[in-house]
Amino acid sequence: MSVEPAVLARARARVLGAVAVGAADPVPPGTVGASDGDRVWVLPAWPDGATPALLEEYQTAPVPLDRPGQARRVLAAALRCCWTRPDDAPWPGESAAVAAVLGVYADMSRGDAVLARRWATGELRRLADTGWLLLDEASGTVRPGPRVALWAEHALPSLRDLLRRLPEPARDGDGGE
Amino acid sequence: MSPTSENGAGAAASLDDALVGEAVLGVYRQMFAALARDSGAVVDDPELVDVAETLLAAFADAGEDGLSREQMRHVCRRYPPEVFENRLRVLRGLGAVREVFPKPNQLRYRASFTSVVGLMFVRRMMLDGGQSEMHRLLALEQLNVADPRMTAGQARAGADGLARAFRLWSVELLTLTNGTIEELREQAPKLWGTEEILLRAERLHGAILRRWPRLDRTCTDLRAAIYAYGDASRRAAARLSDSAGTTRNLTLLPPETWRTFARTASREDLAAVLEGFVFDAAAPWHEPSAVVTAVEDGPRATPPRPAPPRPSVPDPGLSRDTGSGGAARERLREIAEEVLRGRDRVAVQDVLDRDWPAARRVLADLSAAHLHPELPYRLTWSDDLAARPAGAPTWVSPGWFERTTETETTAPPEKAAWSGGSGPPERSAS
Repeated sequence: MSVEPAVLARARARVLGAVAVGAADPVPPGTVGASDGDRVWVLPAWPDGATPALLEEYQTAPVPLDRPGQARRVLAAALRCCWTRPDDAPWPGESAAVAAVLGVYADMSRGDAVLARRWATGELRRLADTGWLLLDEASGTVRPGPRVALWAEHALPSLRDLLRRLPEPARDGDGGE
Repeated sequence: MSPTSENGAGAAASLDDALVGEAVLGVYRQMFAALARDSGAVVDDPELVDVAETLLAAFADAGEDGLSREQMRHVCRRYPPEVFENRLRVLRGLGAVREVFPKPNQLRYRASFTSVVGLMFVRRMMLDGGQSEMHRLLALEQLNVADPRMTAGQARAGADGLARAFRLWSVELLTLTNGTIEELREQAPKLWGTEEILLRAERLHGAILRRWPRLDRTCTDLRAAIYAYGDASRRAAARLSDSAGTTRNLTLLPPETWRTFARTASREDLAAVLEGFVFDAAAPWHEPSAVVTAVEDGPRATPPRPAPPRPSVPDPGLSRDTGSGGAARERLREIAEEVLRGRDRVAVQDVLDRDWPAARRVLADLSAAHLHPELPYRLTWSDDLAARPAGAPTWVSPGWFERTTETETTAPPEKAAWSGGSGPPERSAS
């Protein structure tokens, strides 16, 4: 079975989602790479700078998502902690403690804080599965995922504005359970 | 199934034979009268059967008196007259509808019981294609076999009939199996056998064989027919599931079959269904604006406070102009002083003694000065009315515009409002 390596790499990238390859490896055509140090994440590229948000203009249903609002709030909380220099691009960002992210989310939301943390943990894992965050459960840290690099610069000011208004992340050490 | 005329046979046999044959034929005719188009052929339009059914139902309701021709026509008023006439002629000809008494000029009719039973049978056959009929026949035959009055001849006849039915049934299924898959899909559920029907047939076969061992030859035929039918049924099912496996048309099998497959299949079987497909990984998209919207719409720790209203244009800050009061007051004061020209009071009709468009503007300004709470002017009117046919306002009430106090700037607003709101009558009379 002879398949072109580029085609195979592209198929692998599509099947596995955001995958990291070595920085020296070629990025298959039809994708863009979000590089960070010695790794490159292969991501889908859309023509003309469009993003899937364009689907809304054509009144096409996007990929169905359970509780999109909650997932996006958790993403915002994670960015509040990881995107420490808002004037820069969010990718690659910095690592932050998961506990701090959970604390920000619990401060943002109403109701039972323990329950909010539990919900947010699930959303963090789902966001990590789809490449929006890089979650390191062993060390309990989280980083912005490579998909964040696909955000267009002109869409970011409102997000920066929002993140300034979110609650401060707790300092290291007191943001835990 | 259409009754045929048996003239030749009737002439050759004896009179008794002819009578017996005629009685049998009569039952046949009555049974299938509802299906007859004329006395020689079967109906070609389902509506014709509906007419017969309507008529028979009406007869059942009518009771022993029967129905007259007009009543029958009334019952069948939905159908065209020529259709009704044709049906009535055929039904009478075949004996399904008969005169109450076989006399000439008989006006009332009654219906034959046999025809109704025949029609019920026909309807049931149309509904489920004879399979449930087969169930009934097998159950009846089982009862008959257990009946002590049953003779071997009757048992043989019953077994022969069942064997013939099974043979024909399997032939039909085999023909379908070799035909197109769509036709098989359409027809086979009515034809192919359930385990139960085979089981019941075999039980009947065993019962007959135990009671009349000398009927073994007949029973062998029956057994062979049952097995042939079972084979045909299985082959049709296999063809259907084969074709369902190779096509994407999931409707070739009933939904229940798919459900059973999904519940009982192994993981490998289930995975094999989508072998060769590649699925994109889940990649939901979170636009920054969507993130912002989600955070702002989400439940908050503190209830959102309504923001104060903001102008859409940039806010220049506090201005000197705190309202229109100052400018308007100064303008009114100027006009009032111009009208008074140093005097304390002036007659309104003198002021208005000019053309009306200018005068009414002055009058409006004077009224405004009178009503302004901070201005020391007053407008008082008397109750008289002067008609001046030559004047510019053709009628005028005498009135005075006057200054209320000498110190105009220090007048407190309350006092000014009081003095402006009500004019003392003694001042206006002077």
